[in-house]
Amino acid sequence: MAEGIRIENLVKTYGQGDTAVHALRGVNMSVAKGEVVGLIGPSGSGKSTLLKCLGAVIEPTSGRMTIGDRVIYDDGWKVGDLRALRRDLIGFIFQAPYLIPFLDVTDNVALLPMLAGKPNAEARKEARDLLEALDVAHRAAAMPSQLSGGEQQRVAIARALVNRPPVILADEPTAPLDSVRALAVVDLLNTMARQFETAIIVVTHDEKIIPTFRRLYNIRDGVTVEEGPAGSLGSDGAGKS
Amino acid sequence: MISLAGRDILHGWGKFVLTGVGLGLLIGVTLSMAGVYRGMIDDAQALLDNSGADLWVVQKDTLGPYAEPSSLNEDTERPIRAMAGVDRAAGVTYLTMQIAHRGKDVRVMVVGAEVTQPGEPGQPPYLMAGRRIVQGHYEAVADVKTGFAIGDQVKVRRNTYRIVGLTSRMVSSGGDPMLFLSLKDAQEAQFEKDADAIVRQRARTASSPALNPPGNPAVAEAVNAAQASSTNVNAVLVTVAPSADADAVAAAIRRWQRVTVYTRAQMEEILVDKMIANSARQIGMFLVILAIVSAAIVAFIIYTMTIGKIREIAVLKLIGTRNRTIAGMILQQALGLGLIGFAVGKIAATFWAPFFPKYVLLLPADSVRGFFAVMAICALASLLAIHAALKVDPAEAIGG
Ligand SMILES: Nc1ncnc2c1ncn2[C@@H]1O[C@H](COP(=O)(O)OP(=O)(O)OP(=O)(O)O)[C@@H](O)[C@H]1O
Ligand SMILES: [Mg+2]
Repeated sequence: MAEGIRIENLVKTYGQGDTAVHALRGVNMSVAKGEVVGLIGPSGSGKSTLLKCLGAVIEPTSGRMTIGDRVIYDDGWKVGDLRALRRDLIGFIFQAPYLIPFLDVTDNVALLPMLAGKPNAEARKEARDLLEALDVAHRAAAMPSQLSGGEQQRVAIARALVNRPPVILADEPTAPLDSVRALAVVDLLNTMARQFETAIIVVTHDEKIIPTFRRLYNIRDGVTVEEGPAGSLGSDGAGKS
Repeated sequence: MISLAGRDILHGWGKFVLTGVGLGLLIGVTLSMAGVYRGMIDDAQALLDNSGADLWVVQKDTLGPYAEPSSLNEDTERPIRAMAGVDRAAGVTYLTMQIAHRGKDVRVMVVGAEVTQPGEPGQPPYLMAGRRIVQGHYEAVADVKTGFAIGDQVKVRRNTYRIVGLTSRMVSSGGDPMLFLSLKDAQEAQFEKDADAIVRQRARTASSPALNPPGNPAVAEAVNAAQASSTNVNAVLVTVAPSADADAVAAAIRRWQRVTVYTRAQMEEILVDKMIANSARQIGMFLVILAIVSAAIVAFIIYTMTIGKIREIAVLKLIGTRNRTIAGMILQQALGLGLIGFAVGKIAATFWAPFFPKYVLLLPADSVRGFFAVMAICALASLLAIHAALKVDPAEAIGG
């Protein structure tokens, strides 16, 4: 499979001198297009920090990062407009859906292509097609506050997908859901990853879904350890349920 | 691209409109204050216009007759009338007083004017109803704002007058409606002493060897007669011939008579720049305070609205919304608030203007100025919220 995102030896140090926090000490990771990987690790291990670096909202200290064959970071940003990078190459899914409360479902999704300069009608068409694929098309005209939690999360997934980004970063996307819904979301992410050829990284604590990942990265003290299929996890038992 | 500001406003329109209405009432008060000021200027101008005069001849070195007391002998008018370039000249008296009418006190400015011939300066230039004063005595023409009706009897000092005509927009510079009497009647009202004072004056004359020389009683009688009647006026109003230059005529009068002469422009300066100046400053202060209060309200509301959306703003930034778009959204909301406020304010000011006791003149130009001021204030007030929004870190959307 084609490469989605690759990071090599990524280092992030917060602060300097005595108060420096070495959040990431050389992280290596590679996710192919169409693949969903899990990222787990104890509290304070650097998961959110890694996600922020991948999402280009904080600057790493050193290392290298590529999306497809584009070099994004190589001991410094290699793209001028990080905002456009986030808009076009990275989709975000959060723990809470964080939909824009004053836009209806369609426009919540259509906003991204609109921000990228597409005409409203075209953007809405893309949004509706995606809502269809995610099975929430019947709620297309509703306001976010009128949706159930699961529906909201699916709209959020549609929003992350709509610009067809090569990478999607998901931060605890199943935390508020019960296990049936949580597993459904993971299924959905797998389907979407294949359908839209997207590399999806899912940060999670969620014991219910950890066994479903074919590949897991376990991050400890700022260093990633790649682990095989979830079933073969070591003695920490993170994958056993 | 859709209008984020518009969608947000529609989403929470109730709160938005309520705030706009509150702001609007404040703006209405502001517009009314400006209207009160314009009304004062307009009253002053109406006073000058309606006097029909080109020149005001007053007691030497006074700012009379409206801004300071001035007293001239009415005979001053005669030589003036004979001067080259002078068309007409007529004495007038002005006296602001309270008149009891149907159990209420009405504050009026009693004007004594030459009524013997129509068209003399000082007379009301037009009547809404009734007729001019034709008898030398005991007839009056009133401004409608006095509330008097034709046929009413009103008592001014010791005499009773019948209202024979009504006029309008005839007010003093303070906004008091005018009551016109013949010059003789008005002089009596203004300068004549009451019975007690006359008795005392007579006693004084009688006991003074100079005014009541023994063996010559005619002297005291003459003195008493001279003291009892008054031939003073407050000013002589002059119109100049169409061909003559008012400034030149004024200069000529100044040269030959020991009086002070004001032209229309000078009179306007006295009334508007000197008399109204203090009120103008007072109103100016109010306008400044109201502007600050409005700005504070808009700033507070827009700021709270923005702080309430911090998470959404972080998400918008994370998914690639430009700072410019977010600042634009907040600015548009502030301007929208201003727009509602201005519309409500304009309607409110127009609605309640007639209920003010004094003339409130809402000039379209002031509304236009007010509109731009409101927009500028709203834009300025949104800066705080914009600053807060731009400081939001997109990383906040990802959380810890
Ligand atoms: N802005 C910051 N400044 C300084 N130190 C930070 C900052 N953000 C995170 N850290 C530190 O970096 C380390 C990694 O934090 P991070 O938030 O990435 O952990 P995490 O794996 O997401 O933990 P959790 O599972 O509790 O969310 C922690 O020691 C944290 O205290
Ligand atoms: Mg975290």
